[in-house]
Amino acid sequence: MTTTESPASLLPPKSSRHVPGQPDMWVFVLFESLVFTSYFCVYLYARTQHEAAFLRSQAHLLLWLGVLDTVVLLTSSWAVARCVQHARAGRYGLARRDAWVTAGLGFVFLVLKIVEWARLIHFGHTFTSTQFFQYYFFLTAIHFVHLLIGFVVIGVLILQLKDPRRRRQETVETCATYWHTVDFFWVLIFALLYVVR
Amino acid sequence: MKRPALLDEPKRELWLAWYATVAFYSLYAIVFFLVTRTQPPGKPWYDPTQVVGWFANRHDGLLIGFAIIFVLGGLSATSIALITYSIRRMSVSRAFSYSYLVLYAVSAVPGFLFICVAMTVGAMRPERNPVIQRWLYDLGFLSFSGTMGVFLIGSLIWMTAILLDKNRVFPKWFAYLNLCNALTEVVVAPSWIFHVGAFAWNGVIAWWINVVVFGVYTGAFIYLLRCMILREDFGTGPLPDLPSRHWHTIFPAEVGAS
Repeated sequence: MTTTESPASLLPPKSSRHVPGQPDMWVFVLFESLVFTSYFCVYLYARTQHEAAFLRSQAHLLLWLGVLDTVVLLTSSWAVARCVQHARAGRYGLARRDAWVTAGLGFVFLVLKIVEWARLIHFGHTFTSTQFFQYYFFLTAIHFVHLLIGFVVIGVLILQLKDPRRRRQETVETCATYWHTVDFFWVLIFALLYVVR
Repeated sequence: MKRPALLDEPKRELWLAWYATVAFYSLYAIVFFLVTRTQPPGKPWYDPTQVVGWFANRHDGLLIGFAIIFVLGGLSATSIALITYSIRRMSVSRAFSYSYLVLYAVSAVPGFLFICVAMTVGAMRPERNPVIQRWLYDLGFLSFSGTMGVFLIGSLIWMTAILLDKNRVFPKWFAYLNLCNALTEVVVAPSWIFHVGAFAWNGVIAWWINVVVFGVYTGAFIYLLRCMILREDFGTGPLPDLPSRHWHTIFPAEVGAS
């Protein structure tokens, strides 16, 4: 005699099928991804219209600095992922440490970005100098604003981890989701502005 | 969803404010897009002669359309009042609702009255010096598009109130939609610098993408205000759920958790 399992019993438990964090945050992720996608489409269209001019301007960017930005931000994503893992395991001290590491790496990214902007402006490449730099400064600045909001988010995360009465795994994962989203946008910006030739 | 009973006491005043809000946004869209044709905005690079032509093409529409706005534009107060009411209904400090109320009351001036005045003045005397006509044209569009930043803090106040609220007046996803809207308000700032391209006041990024985001945002909050009125029990605690299957689409997380 064989036993048959219903399809429902083959699925993982309901709790493990939920998206991480508040499902509401995923509305932000999806909506903001659509907005950024539309910015990228506009940029790529402009690029196809003036490819040679875009390439000339793009040559003034330092690829290694963009790679460094990306590595720093991806490492911060790794740190926030570790933070979530530690919080899930109830190791809140380690989770807080990882949250601080995330914020620290985010700060390093901001400093690198300001240094990069200052260097470009010093060499005469400003928001109004060429069409490529219009998009470059716009996309990096709007990402910068998202990252500044990310510091508020990480601040909330640290406060939650610090206070046992406020700790909620859902909030920890919601904050991490925001941070990962900002990193995801940077990877796309990096690819479009620095790598695509 | 149950149809709102307009005369159902004691929600009559709230429904009046909600229908006035719908009327205002409908009127706003009709006047700006169809009657005056000031949206989508005119070209920022027009020379004085082209601007004179622009005013001539819209002369009657500008005078009639903005006359309607001058008479009925005050309806915008109802949406601000209803949103302020919603924040008052939350379990957060009244400082949020007062800040929102004051901010949006002030923002209405650059938000849409400046453009109405400037364009009406331009349409009033078509024979005026073209250079002055272009000055009015610039004033109208820059005040309309370039001052969107004043709404940034308002969206952030509303977002913070929703995130802190324990009365579940609005779903949390709408708080995050407020953040999306607030971020697009920043994007309009470059329209003060560029006369042409994606960042000019009629550009793809500064106007077209923003107007889509604003449209989604406005539609969402009008719908959610309606849901709030349906749920309102005039108490001080959490708003009761609607006995409707539609409710699961608004508060999925809370329904799932309960």
